[in-house]
Amino acid sequence: MSATAAVPLPRRRFSRDWIVAQLIRRAMLIVMLLVIAFFSYRSLRFSSLDNLQTILVAAAPFALIALGQTLVILTGGIDLSVGSVIAVAGMTGAAVAKSHPGQVWLTVLAAMAVGLLAGAINGFLVSRIDVPPFIATLGMLTAGSGVAFVIGHGAPINGLPAEFGTIANTKVLGLQIPVLLMIIGIVGFGIAMRRTAYGMRIYAVGGNRTAAEIAGVNARRTLFSVYAVSGLLAGISGVMLASRVSSGPPTLGQGYELDAIAAVVIGGASLMGGRGTVWGTALGLLLIQTLNNGLDLLLVPAYWQDVIKGVLIVAAVAVDVWSVRRRA
Amino acid sequence: MTVTTGDPVLECHDLEKSFGGVPVLKGVSLSLQLGTVTALAGENGAGKSTMMKIASGQYRADSGTVRVQGEELSAGDIRDAHRLGVAIVPQELASIAHMTVYENLFVGREMTTKLGTLDRRGMSRRAAEMLEVFGVDIDPGARMGTLPVGMQQIVEIVKNSSRGAKVLLLDEPSSAISEREVEGLYRVVRQLRDSGVAMVFTTHKMAEMRALADRVVVLRDGGLVLDRDMSEVSDDDIVTAMIGRELEDLFPALHTVPRDAEQVLQVEDLHVVDQPGGCSLQVRRGEILGLAGLVGAGRTELLEGIFGVRATTSGRITVAGREVKRRSPAAAITAGMALVPEDRKHSGAVMGLSVLDNGTLPRLAQFSIAGWLKQRARSQSVGTAMESVRLRSRGLGQEVGTLSGGNQQKVVLARWLTEHVDVLLLDEPTRGVDVGARSEIYRIIADLAQAGMAVVMASSDMTEVLGLSHRALVMREGGVVGELDRSDLERADVQELIFRLSSGLDPRTDRQPEEGDA
Repeated sequence: MSATAAVPLPRRRFSRDWIVAQLIRRAMLIVMLLVIAFFSYRSLRFSSLDNLQTILVAAAPFALIALGQTLVILTGGIDLSVGSVIAVAGMTGAAVAKSHPGQVWLTVLAAMAVGLLAGAINGFLVSRIDVPPFIATLGMLTAGSGVAFVIGHGAPINGLPAEFGTIANTKVLGLQIPVLLMIIGIVGFGIAMRRTAYGMRIYAVGGNRTAAEIAGVNARRTLFSVYAVSGLLAGISGVMLASRVSSGPPTLGQGYELDAIAAVVIGGASLMGGRGTVWGTALGLLLIQTLNNGLDLLLVPAYWQDVIKGVLIVAAVAVDVWSVRRRA
Repeated sequence: MTVTTGDPVLECHDLEKSFGGVPVLKGVSLSLQLGTVTALAGENGAGKSTMMKIASGQYRADSGTVRVQGEELSAGDIRDAHRLGVAIVPQELASIAHMTVYENLFVGREMTTKLGTLDRRGMSRRAAEMLEVFGVDIDPGARMGTLPVGMQQIVEIVKNSSRGAKVLLLDEPSSAISEREVEGLYRVVRQLRDSGVAMVFTTHKMAEMRALADRVVVLRDGGLVLDRDMSEVSDDDIVTAMIGRELEDLFPALHTVPRDAEQVLQVEDLHVVDQPGGCSLQVRRGEILGLAGLVGAGRTELLEGIFGVRATTSGRITVAGREVKRRSPAAAITAGMALVPEDRKHSGAVMGLSVLDNGTLPRLAQFSIAGWLKQRARSQSVGTAMESVRLRSRGLGQEVGTLSGGNQQKVVLARWLTEHVDVLLLDEPTRGVDVGARSEIYRIIADLAQAGMAVVMASSDMTEVLGLSHRALVMREGGVVGELDRSDLERADVQELIFRLSSGLDPRTDRQPEEGDA
């Protein structure tokens, strides 16, 4: 189901093996098209331009953290803390907006700084102290959700100046800022991962850390950077989310980390590191969001959506593992 | 004894297997008799391990059958193999390090008390008896991970034989253990043979075949080339069968190094962390320096220390007269050093990346402007480098993991050649490389040296050190214990000499390592 780049194409085109390999490779895209076709057939509203915008707006905050998560997972790590970092950054943004009305840029910068700081702490723990990523970021997840409540003194921050709400709702080039950031982020990271030295270092460290170090790559620095980037993106995502609801609820972003991880995994990345693409993540993310949206339109209850999402995650990985083993 | 020595117990018939289109076994037949020990010999990559894995049910053969006492083994089913009494002791041991010896012996068939709880005392006592039969002194309550590897291996063998294994497959049993432990292993193997077990072990060491085997089977490039009683064949017969030609033809003619050639690499009293000794060495431009010694002598550690991937506490390294910062691979690379590590899969190449990306990695700075990769420049340079070693691939985009062992090694070597290299550090340059590619890699190494590199080559393959070095150092316990020049290396008794030096038998060199490095 995932973008299985590992399946080699047989040399003879249009042979049976070739077709099977193509189908496995493109399985994600095929499922995506089937889903779109199904919903378009069942619901008139689904294929409207308005609804596309709804899907994109819903996807945007997830997209940013899923991008960060992709980088982290490519190094063989995991970042469980992004949900809490969203909350802390959103609360920080809200608090700054309230105490410094009229200074929108300060608000955004404060939230980004908080996200970057949280990510840097994760990165420091993982790359310098060698704390396993699961533990380091689990700690940050727990501590962060506490900090979010501390900032709001145990309650949401309300009564924010009107301009706080404009951050996420202003349109540039006909697109809302979060959607624009999502597109820039996907295209930017997608190209960077393939075309820059930084991207190659990430793949190398995740694929084989020792080999990368022998080739002169500073693995610790690379590891540190992916967690910092993930935190920064979660910070941006946090302030966008808070702005969209024009308040600072301490439970903002709760559980988002799992959706982000799900998008990366459905997109074909290996949790062992070294394998996966930004494009795969983007596709995985849009698949989840399209399903959510379509099922909403068909009035399928929310808890069924979770069931479907769960099955999808396992199916994606199962097909991947199966297709690799079939070759052995 | 009720068993009849000589009955065939395991019969492999016409086994074929290929991985990713590369044939590894090309129709090999083999039959094992009860109460005999067979050596399965061959170079790395000859197909020995694959053969063992098929016989033990880990792999499924593409065609051919395995019969155990007449009953056919269902392919690729480890449990069926177990049921029929075939057990394997793998090269990388499968014991559970955190559990005790007796727990390891009884895991999966635990003894219980009447209440259904674990009978720890009973298992411990039984374990002690089992180990005593083989005359090994191991505390059944000791944690497996605290035992030396050789002892762990014996526990594994005892475990399998006590579960009624009729056929025991040992994959490179002596590769990771010290000389002292080898005797214990030999004793256990002989005892099992006398009790009627059929055994086969893979090896490429002549001494081991002579010490243990009744019969020798040689594989080369996936085919069976020799199957004789040990008493009928000479050492030369076996070596020739293994490498497929006379030994001399494997190596290129060595050029001579001018006496006044510049000392490119100088290492002074380098102390590597966790190694008892300090090391000094000098290598001239154009010279190939061999590093010999037993497993664990510290050769890999020294190379990694010089290159900066392993921590060093003191010492001085200079390349072409300029001092190189220790503990920094990046500094070593900038200074013109290159390392081809021992274990390709673990530390050589990133298997999931393409040839092009692997070729770019060591020189990322040169191949990028402000972080952006220069696509054309890197394709060109890497392409030229790969061509210079005659890499056989479907193109620069092919994943390294899908290349053959020899071609992977060429990538790991050639990726350094996109820039000027002064010092080439090679660790077991032909491990896991088939014979054809081996002589090709030797030629590449000799050519690179002749073109002006200083080469340091660590190898546990004695013929490699003898055939390809201008000079060799023998290492033991992290220090240098002897130096042999080309005329020493051509002496008839040189293998004996190296062995004595490396195992510390020679009183002349049996000094403290601290003195030995002077």
